[in-house]
Amino acid sequence: MNTVSQPLLRLENITKRFKELIAVNGVCLDVPLGEKLVIIGPSGSGKSTLLRSINLLEKIDEGSIQFEGREVGYVMRNGTRHLDHSQAISALRAEIGMVFQHFHLFPHMTVLGNVMEGPLTVQRKPAAEARAIAVDMLVKVGLPDKSDVFPATLSGGQKQRVAIARALAMRPKLMLFDEPTSALDPELVGEVFDAIHTLADEGMTMVIVTHHMGFARELADRVVFMESGNFLAQGTPAEVFGSGQDNERIRGFLNRLL
Amino acid sequence: MALLFLCSLAGSCFAEDYDQLFRASNDLMAQGDLAGAVTLLNQVPAPVAGGDAGAFVSSRMQVARIHAAENDLDRATASCQEVLKLFPDNNEARNFVAALDALRKPRWHTILADILRFLPSLAKGTLMTLLLVLCTMLVSPLGGLLIALGRISTLRPVSGLCWFIIWFFRGTPLLLQLFFIYYGLPAFGITLPPLTAAVIGLGLNYSAYLGEIIRGAIQSIDHGQMEAAKAIGMSYGQAMRRIIIPQTYKRLMPPVGNEFIALIKDTALVSTIAMVELMRSADQLFNTYFNITALALAAVIYLVLTTIFTFIFEKIEYRAGIYEHR
Repeated sequence: MNTVSQPLLRLENITKRFKELIAVNGVCLDVPLGEKLVIIGPSGSGKSTLLRSINLLEKIDEGSIQFEGREVGYVMRNGTRHLDHSQAISALRAEIGMVFQHFHLFPHMTVLGNVMEGPLTVQRKPAAEARAIAVDMLVKVGLPDKSDVFPATLSGGQKQRVAIARALAMRPKLMLFDEPTSALDPELVGEVFDAIHTLADEGMTMVIVTHHMGFARELADRVVFMESGNFLAQGTPAEVFGSGQDNERIRGFLNRLL
Repeated sequence: MALLFLCSLAGSCFAEDYDQLFRASNDLMAQGDLAGAVTLLNQVPAPVAGGDAGAFVSSRMQVARIHAAENDLDRATASCQEVLKLFPDNNEARNFVAALDALRKPRWHTILADILRFLPSLAKGTLMTLLLVLCTMLVSPLGGLLIALGRISTLRPVSGLCWFIIWFFRGTPLLLQLFFIYYGLPAFGITLPPLTAAVIGLGLNYSAYLGEIIRGAIQSIDHGQMEAAKAIGMSYGQAMRRIIIPQTYKRLMPPVGNEFIALIKDTALVSTIAMVELMRSADQLFNTYFNITALALAAVIYLVLTTIFTFIFEKIEYRAGIYEHR
C-alpha cells in the first residue's frame, strides 16, 4: 500500500441510528495527515455524532473506521458487530485527542493534575516526565501560571485551553474539537481560537465541529456542510462560503448565521 | 406512716411508768399532732436524773424519727445526739445519725459515686462498641463499593446478584440477620464466635445500604467525566478509580455519615448475640443495681461517640470538597 496517499483517517459508510432517527447516514470521509477539516451545519444534523464516533464514544451501526490504514474499533462475532476489546479502544483513543463543548475538566484535580493525568495514568510515564510534558502543554496554551489552581477558579476560556492542553499531553496524531467555543462567552472565544490556531500552525491534523463561520473560513483547508446525517457539500472555504455557493439550503443556513 | 407505726410498736414494750406516756404520744401522732407528740416524748427524763434508760432512748429516737419524717434533719440529729451523749455506743442512734448525714449530702455526690462505680465496666463495653463500629466502617464501604459497581455493571448475572443482596439485607431486620448468623448458621455446621458473627452481620447489612448510596453518587457524576477520561485513553477501571470515584467522596459523606451514626447505635443490637458491648454493659449494671444512672451514663457515652464521629465526618466532607471552594 502506498503510505503517502493513505489518509490518516478514513471513514467509510458510517451510519448511526438512535432508535428511529438516523443521525449519520452512510457518510464517507478521508482526512489526510495535516488537514484541518471543519464540519458545519444546523443543530441536530449529526456533526457531533459523527465526530464522537471517530474515537468510539458513539458505537456506529454500520461502516468502518480506519486510522493509519488499520481498521479500528469493531470486530465481527457470530455475524454481528461488536466494539473491540477495551484495550484496543483505549489505545486508539490515546492517539486521538478530543476537546468537548463543556470542557469536562476533572474538577478534583489541579490544572497541572488534569494535564498530567493522561501521560501518568494511561501512558504510565514517571511523574516527573508527566509533569514536564504537562508544563510544556500549559505553556503552549498560555496558562503556565495556572498550574496549581483547581478548574473551578478558571474562566470558561481558560478551562477550554486547559482541556486542549490535556488532550495534547497525550501527543495525539489527530485532534477532534466538538464545538469548542459554543459554551463560552463571546469575549472568551478568541483565546480558544488562538490556541487552536497555534496548533494548526504546527501541522496538527484536526477535525472541528463549530458554529463560528468566520473561524471555519480562516482555519479550514476543507469545509463539510452536514444536514440530516448527510454531507450536502464539501470544498475549500471559498467554495462553500463563497458567492459561488448555489445550494439553497446552505445559503439559507449561512445567511442566518452571518 | 410505716415508720410511725413501727415506733408505736416499739413504744408499747417499755416500763409501766412510761407506757401511758408512749400511748398518749401515739394517739397524738395518729391525730396528726406531731409537735404535741414530740413535747410529750421529750418529757421522758434522762436516766442520770433517775429515769429509765430504755424509755429515754426510745423516746429520743422516736422524736428523731418524727423530725426526720418531717424532713427536719437538724432536730433529728440533735435528738440522736442526746442519746449519744449518755450512750456513745448506741448503734441505733449512730446509724441514724449516719443516715441523716447521708441525706444531708447533695444528690450529685451519690450520682458521682455511681458513675465512678459504673464507669470501668461501661468503658470496657464502649471499647467493644468502638471495635465493632470501626470494623464495620472498614468492611462496609468496600462491600458497598463492590455492590455499587456490580449494580451498574452491564453483566446481567453480576448486577442481578448485587440487586438481590441489597434486596435481602435491606428488606429484613438487622436483628433477624444477626440471629440467623449467630444462632441459625450452627444448624448448617457453621459456628461463629460472637464478634465474627456481629461484624459479618453488621458488615453485610451496611454494605447493602452503602452500596445504594455509592451507586447513587457514582451515577450522579456528570457523564462527561467518564467520556473525558475515556477520550484520553483510560480504561473503565482507570476512569472509575482516578476520575469518577474520587469525585463521589464529597457527595458520599453526608449520607454515609448518617449511616455510620446509625451504625454506632445499631451495634446495641449485637448485645442479643452474647456480645458485651456498651448497651449490654449498661443493661447488666441496671439489672444488678436497679440504678438508672447506668443507663443514663450509657446514653451520654453514645452521644459522645456520635458527636465525635459527626465532627470527623464534617471535617472529611469539607476536605473532600476542597477543590470546589474558590
